[in-house]
Amino acid sequence: MNKTGISFAAARAAYRPDADLGPLPALTDPDTLLAACHPDHLRGSVVKLAIGANAGDGCQRELAELLQAEAFIDEADLAGTPVTDTDVLVIGGGGAGCAAALAAAERGARVLLATKLRLGDSNTVMAEGGIQAAIEPDDTPQQHISDTLRGGHHAADPALVAALVADGPDAIRWLIRQGMQFETTATGDLHTRKAGGMSAARIVHCRDYTGLEMMRVLREAVIQHRGIEVWEQSPAVELLSNERGQKCVGAVLGSLADGRLRIVRTRSVILATGGLGRLHLNGFPTSNHLGATGDGLVLAYRIGAKLRELDSFQYHPTGLVHPTHLSGKLVTEGVRAAGALLVNGEGRRFIDELLPRDVVSAAILRECQEGRGILSVRTDKTRLGVWLDTPRLERSQPGLLERQFPKLLARTRGAGIDPRVDPLLVHPTLHYQNGGVLIDVNGATTVPGLYAVGELAGGIHGRNRIMGNALLDIIGFGRRAGVAAVAERDRGPKKVTLEHVNRMRRALTLAGMPLTHKSPRLLPAYAGGAWNR
Amino acid sequence: MEPLNQLLLHPDHRVGADLTRWQAHGGGSALSAAAADPAAVRELVRLADLRGLGGSGFPVWKKWDVVAAEPARPDKYLVVNGNEDEPGTFKDRLLLEETPHQVIEGAVIAALAVGANRVVFYVNPDLARSLTALKLAIEQWRAAGLTEIAARALGRPLELELLPGSGHYIGGEETAALEWIEGRFPFPRGKPPYPAQSGVHGCPTLVNNVETLAHVPHLVLYGVDWFRGRGIGRGTGTKLYSLSGDVLHPGVYELPMGTPLRELIYAHGGGLLSGKPLKAVFTGGPSNTLLTPADLDVALDFDSLRECGGSLGTGAMIVISEGTGVVKRVAEYVRFFAHSSCGQCPPCKTGTATLSRLLDRIDTGRGTPADLATLENLCAMLPNSGRCHLLNGVVQLLDSSFRHFHHEYRNALR
Repeated sequence: MNKTGISFAAARAAYRPDADLGPLPALTDPDTLLAACHPDHLRGSVVKLAIGANAGDGCQRELAELLQAEAFIDEADLAGTPVTDTDVLVIGGGGAGCAAALAAAERGARVLLATKLRLGDSNTVMAEGGIQAAIEPDDTPQQHISDTLRGGHHAADPALVAALVADGPDAIRWLIRQGMQFETTATGDLHTRKAGGMSAARIVHCRDYTGLEMMRVLREAVIQHRGIEVWEQSPAVELLSNERGQKCVGAVLGSLADGRLRIVRTRSVILATGGLGRLHLNGFPTSNHLGATGDGLVLAYRIGAKLRELDSFQYHPTGLVHPTHLSGKLVTEGVRAAGALLVNGEGRRFIDELLPRDVVSAAILRECQEGRGILSVRTDKTRLGVWLDTPRLERSQPGLLERQFPKLLARTRGAGIDPRVDPLLVHPTLHYQNGGVLIDVNGATTVPGLYAVGELAGGIHGRNRIMGNALLDIIGFGRRAGVAAVAERDRGPKKVTLEHVNRMRRALTLAGMPLTHKSPRLLPAYAGGAWNR
Repeated sequence: MEPLNQLLLHPDHRVGADLTRWQAHGGGSALSAAAADPAAVRELVRLADLRGLGGSGFPVWKKWDVVAAEPARPDKYLVVNGNEDEPGTFKDRLLLEETPHQVIEGAVIAALAVGANRVVFYVNPDLARSLTALKLAIEQWRAAGLTEIAARALGRPLELELLPGSGHYIGGEETAALEWIEGRFPFPRGKPPYPAQSGVHGCPTLVNNVETLAHVPHLVLYGVDWFRGRGIGRGTGTKLYSLSGDVLHPGVYELPMGTPLRELIYAHGGGLLSGKPLKAVFTGGPSNTLLTPADLDVALDFDSLRECGGSLGTGAMIVISEGTGVVKRVAEYVRFFAHSSCGQCPPCKTGTATLSRLLDRIDTGRGTPADLATLENLCAMLPNSGRCHLLNGVVQLLDSSFRHFHHEYRNALR
C-alpha cells in the first residue's frame, strides 16, 4: 500500500467545516472500483488451499496459513488429562453460543459452555444498529429474503436465508421472553428502522446498544440455567474425533488460568467462536474484540469440515485511525446515515457515503493509495485515513451528535477529541467474516456431531452482510443448532482420539508442507501471542 | 508400493454390485466348478490351510467337516459374519462394499460344500454402503438365476438372506449372532453345544467371517498349490491388514499372509508420521497383546504370532508412536469393551466396568498404588469366567500392556 499522503497537521490546518467540498465525482462502475481497491482483491491476498476439504479453493493468505497447520497438542499432551462428560459442548460465549446452549438446555440436555475469555466477551456486544425481522405490515418475509440475497451479491445459500428470515419474528418473541428491552412506539408496538439495502423498515433495536442489551439477557439466562455449566478462560485447543476421525466427539480445552488441558467428551459440539478480525488480514485494523482469532475455522477445517467464501470479508468504511488505542473502533454507519460526509486530504468529497459498505471502503482505500489520504499523527506506525466530517454535521444539525451518538462522543472526548469541532480520521476496518463453515439449516457441518453457528458459519450472508442480519443469525441458527445437537444419535462411548490431527499431518507431509506452524491462534500476538503452556 | 498379489482386492474384483462386470472377469466360474463336486471343496480348504480370518485363526475345514457330517434338522445354516465393529478393523466393510459378488459366491460355495440351504448375511447395521451393495448384489443373483444353479447342485432350494445386525459389538461373537438371527438380544451362548452341532433354531450352523469366505472362489478356481504359494513362510494365501494409527498411509492392505510387521508399517504404511519412533502396535480387536519394536520382524500369520505370545486377530494393526500414552489408549479400549459387555455374566459385567474405572482413575492422575495392585489382581482372577471371549481379550490387552509398559502405569500414580 502506498504510504504517502498529506500530513495530519497540514490537513487539519486547511480544514474548514464550511469549506466548499466541490462536486461529487460520478461513480461509473462500482465493480471496477471493488476489483481495484477492495482488500479482498489485493494482489497476493488470496491463495489456493492445498490440503483439506477445500483443497483448490481460494482462501485469504493469513487464514490459509492457519488452516494448513499442525495442531498445538499431540497424544502425549493428553496423558493424565481429566475428562468431563456432557451431552452438548458449546464453544464460544457470545450471542450464538448462549442461544445454542439455552436451546439445548431447554430440551433437557446437560450443556457445557466453554469460552476463551469471559461469558459475553464477544462481537455481539458491539452490535449497535439492531436486529432484522419482517414484522411490519408493509413488509414480507420474501422481501427480507430478497434484500439479504441481493446484499450478499447472490452468493448466499437460499435455503439458509429462508431459514434465517423465517426465524425472525420468533427470535424477537423469544428474546422478549428472555427479558430483552426493545424500543417501542407510542402505542407499544416494536419500533423499526430502515437501513441500507432494505425495502422496508425492519430493524428492531434498543437505542444504539442492541447487542449489549441482547448479551445482557442471554448472559443472565445462561448463568441462571441449571442445565448449563460455564467454563470461562477455557479456549478450545483442539477437537476430538472418533477413532476413524470422521465424527466429532468432544474437544480439548485449555485454560488461560492455569495452562492445563481438559478433555470434554460429548455427543455433539457446537462451535460458536465468532470471527477472525484479530488476525488483522492484510494488516488492517479491526473492530472485533480481542478473542476474534478465527479458532473455529481452524478447528473445523482440521476435523474435515468444509468451509466456504474464505476470500470474502467485510471491511467497515469508518474505523477510527487515531488516537492509536482506539484504532479500528467503529464509528457507526448511523453517523453517515444522519448526513456526515467523507472528505479526502484535498478537501474534496469522493464517494456517495451511503453506497454499500464494500464500495465505500474501496473508495476510501483508493483515496489513500493515490496520495489524497491523511497521514496519522503517530508516524511511528504510518496510518492513512480520510475525514469523517462531523463538524459540518454539527453545523447543519446542531445538537444531533450529542443527542443520538453519546457513545461516540464519550469515547472520543476521552482522547481529547471533540467530534463537534474536530473531523474524525477514519479508515476501513476489518469487521466481519462473510463466509465460514458450510452448514445446513440446522447448523450441522459436513462432519457428524459438529455444528457451527454465528459469524463462524458461512453461506447465510453470501459475500456481503447487510445490517441487522448478524444478530438475527446468531439467535436463529444458534437455537436451531441447540435443538439439533440434542437429537444427535449416540451409541455410547466410542474412543475419543486425535485421528483427524493425524490425517492433517499426513496431508501436510504428503503435500511437502512444514509441520512447524501451529494453530489455532487463540490470542493475538500483542496479547501474549500463541498460547504458551 | 503396489502389492503384487492382490486376490480379494484385485481391481477386476472391485466392481461393486455390478453382476455383468463381475462375470466378465470370470466371476461365477468358481461356483460352476464347485457345483460339480461340492464335497471336494472341503478337501481343498483343508489342504490350503485356510483359517478363520475373523480373528480366531481356527482351521476352517474342521468346522466345515462337522457341519457337513451333521444331518439337516430340517435346515442347515451358513452365517456370513460381517458384524465388524472392533476398533481399528475395517476390512470386511470394504469387501462387502466393493466385492459383494465375490463374498456371495464364496458363501454359496461354502453352503454347497457343507450342505447348508439357508445363508444369512449378518452385517453391522452401521455399514450403510456395505448393506446397500450386498442387498443389490443378492437381488442380482436371484434375478440372474445363479441361486437356481446352486440350488440344483444342493438338491433343495437355497435361500439367501441379508440381516442387519443389532449394532452391538458383542453381536459379532458367533453364538450371539445366532441369538440375533433367532430374534433375540445378542447374548452369547454357552459352548458346547457348538453352532456346528446346534446353531440357529437347533440346526447345524456354520459361522464364517466375510474375508474367510471371500477366499473360497479363487481357491476353487486356482487350486491349493497356487493358494499356498500366495503366503510367506507358514502363511497361506493373502490377508487383509487394516493398518491405522500414526502412520503416513493408513488403509487396508492385502499382503501375503506372513508379511513381516516391519514391511507392513514402513514399506506399505509409509513409516511413522512426523518421523517419530515406533512405540507399540495394538493388534487384532484390539483385545490382544501389544507388539513392540522388538517384534518388528515377526511374520504376521496366526502361528508365528502365537509363538511369540501374540495373536493376529482380525489383522488390525493400530500403530502408535513415541509420545502416545499407553495408559490412556488402554483405558479407552477397555472402556469400549466395558460398554460392549452384554452383561449376562457377572464377572464380565462388573469386571470390565471395574477395570475401566480403575484405569480411568490411573489415567487421570488420581490412581493410587492400591488401584494398580487391584488391576493386576483382577487380571489374574477374571480370565475364563465369562461365556465368551470378551473378558479374556480385555485381560490379555491389559496384561500385555503391563508387561511392556508397567513404568507408565507406575508413573501415572498419584
